[in-house]
Amino acid sequence: MRVPALIALVMAASASCGWAAEAPNRSLLAPEALPRLPQRLVELGLEALKAPDWLVAIGSFAAAAGTVVAVFLTAFALLSLIERKTLARIQNRIGPNRAGPFGLLQPVADGIKMLTKEDIVPTKSEWFLHLLAPVMIVIPSILALGVIPYGREWVPVDLPLGLLFFFAAGTMTELAVFIAGWASGSKFPMLGAMRAISQMVSYELPLIISATSVVMLSGTLSLSGIVEAQAGFHLGFIPAWYILTPWGFVAGVIFLIAGNAESNRCPFDLPEGESEIVAGHMTEYSGFKYALFFMGEYLGLFAISGLGITLFLGGWQPPLPGLGFVPSWIWFFGKLAAVIFFFLWVRGTFPRVRIDQLMRFAWLCLIPVSLLTLPVAAIWQYSGKGALGWLLCSAILLVPFIILTVRFNRRMATNNRRYTFAE
Amino acid sequence: MIPLLILSPLILLAALGAVWKARPVHAALLLALTLALVAVFYLTVGAEFVGLVQFMVYVGGVAILIVFALLITRPGDEAAEVARRPRSLALGLSCVAPVLGLLLYAFSKGLPVDVAGETNPPLPVKAVGMELFGNAVPAVLAVAVLLTAVLIGAALFARDPGKKPEPPIG
Amino acid sequence: MTPLPLLLTLSALLFTLGLFAVLTRRNAILILVGIELMLNAANINFIAFWRYGPPDVDLTGPLSVVFSIAIAAAEAAVGLAIILMVFRHTRSTDLNRLDSLHG
Repeated sequence: MRVPALIALVMAASASCGWAAEAPNRSLLAPEALPRLPQRLVELGLEALKAPDWLVAIGSFAAAAGTVVAVFLTAFALLSLIERKTLARIQNRIGPNRAGPFGLLQPVADGIKMLTKEDIVPTKSEWFLHLLAPVMIVIPSILALGVIPYGREWVPVDLPLGLLFFFAAGTMTELAVFIAGWASGSKFPMLGAMRAISQMVSYELPLIISATSVVMLSGTLSLSGIVEAQAGFHLGFIPAWYILTPWGFVAGVIFLIAGNAESNRCPFDLPEGESEIVAGHMTEYSGFKYALFFMGEYLGLFAISGLGITLFLGGWQPPLPGLGFVPSWIWFFGKLAAVIFFFLWVRGTFPRVRIDQLMRFAWLCLIPVSLLTLPVAAIWQYSGKGALGWLLCSAILLVPFIILTVRFNRRMATNNRRYTFAE
Repeated sequence: MIPLLILSPLILLAALGAVWKARPVHAALLLALTLALVAVFYLTVGAEFVGLVQFMVYVGGVAILIVFALLITRPGDEAAEVARRPRSLALGLSCVAPVLGLLLYAFSKGLPVDVAGETNPPLPVKAVGMELFGNAVPAVLAVAVLLTAVLIGAALFARDPGKKPEPPIG
Repeated sequence: MTPLPLLLTLSALLFTLGLFAVLTRRNAILILVGIELMLNAANINFIAFWRYGPPDVDLTGPLSVVFSIAIAAAEAAVGLAIILMVFRHTRSTDLNRLDSLHG
């Protein structure tokens, strides 16, 4: 079994050198095409072994999927450590630093702990649905990760309907949360599942509406097409990303807030807040199933951040004109790191919102403002993208926003409180 | 053809479960499975846009609504349902058998000669958009008005009856 | 067997199953399940004729299905709202017990 693989590897290496000699931009080992390397290697190996067409297609697709899953599982492990360290520094303490230098082996320790915990299944629960729910939560996140363009020539699956596929995969998460809550057979998970579903359904609307304004101006539902519509630079050095337009700024901020709520992260983590409802729909899960919930949530965070970057931050486009020599996937992962740091920062800074505040915020503030971005995007397109466009669009967006927030503040404002601290 | 031969029995089995299972939440989840399989069918046949819309609206909307309503109303009378089974099965079958016969008879008469090609016809989203907002604009506007009315109506119906009812006139 | 008769049989059987659910179930919400099955059977019919029938230039098949999906979602929302209102009034979703107009 190893000898054919070795032969394939040697042939692939020689073929890549041959390719590098004749066409520099088709080289396997070019830094731009590095994420594609496993997939290309598998393709070359299978073709060298004279496999039938369908087997080459399946093998290439499996290699692409395997690369995405491997990269993001490693990123998930690293993120669980980075999140704890960052939160700790925000809270003026040091994070985990015992397991390995700077706590770098902490994810390994966590993994071992999760795997060796006893798997408790309550007797009043339905064991099949109880087992199915964590699996059903991880699957849509991985599916959604497959349509995001990570680099100039690296979309794992380039669908012409990529954005619609992303949102369709997201709706499976809601059903899985309900199954998790109901199959546990006790009150806390059921309540947590009801709250989680109402939160996810309410925040799905601003998410999709703000994505619709992007689709309107790009003219395509394909995510790689949306990234390419954000190429180019205004005035020579300002990138033409959508977040640097008035409607795009508002839509991008709404997208990030709604993405926060969709991933059940603080300040919207009421469904899983420990001090409120034990662990919500995940209460009756232990061991590896809990690790699967955890993984599904973080992979969903990667997916939503990746989509936000694709829609508003220009995907893999470099921020300045002269930086085109840096491989495009480095820009994507850099932006991903920035957005994830922003999410961690928000988590460490804001308190948790109550369920009624959450719903009111979604239905009375986010949805009207996101509905406004649709005509504003059209006005931006047709009034020329210059100063007049900026003036008009900012006015149309700011006035309702100020009215809504002022109305909120007046309704939510309490009397002057007197705080007395213990001395 | 092979995907259709695999999908059709699965769809029928899931629908049978949705119709026959005594516990309501199981029936609702099997309905979600049926709707998801129908979405997969649409994707197989080449209507990708329709398949993804089916997934988003039916599985992600209608199924969640049904499941939520079951959570709120908490029905729990499966024993009574099972006890009625033989009678309801006989009555139900006697009512639906003529309908099934009629449908199959209608489908067996005068089908178009198989003119379909081997490959799926394209369904580009741009064409769907141009049709929707070109020829079918009145229908889109009517559906928009309907959906707005439904949103307002359902919100009005489902809100908490906090106020006391007014005293009768006279 | 060619695809079109297979799909038409599938949709006929699905419609019959939905009708059976509407006629037999006691819980009002499970009757809604049957209605959704019937609507899906009709949609399968539309798409089957779009794919395996005469060429469809106007995209009538997929467009009809999109409208049908939208209207089915609206109807499910209103139906469930009504059921919840009735439940609040009578504490029951059993249709055999909701047989008098007098509140």
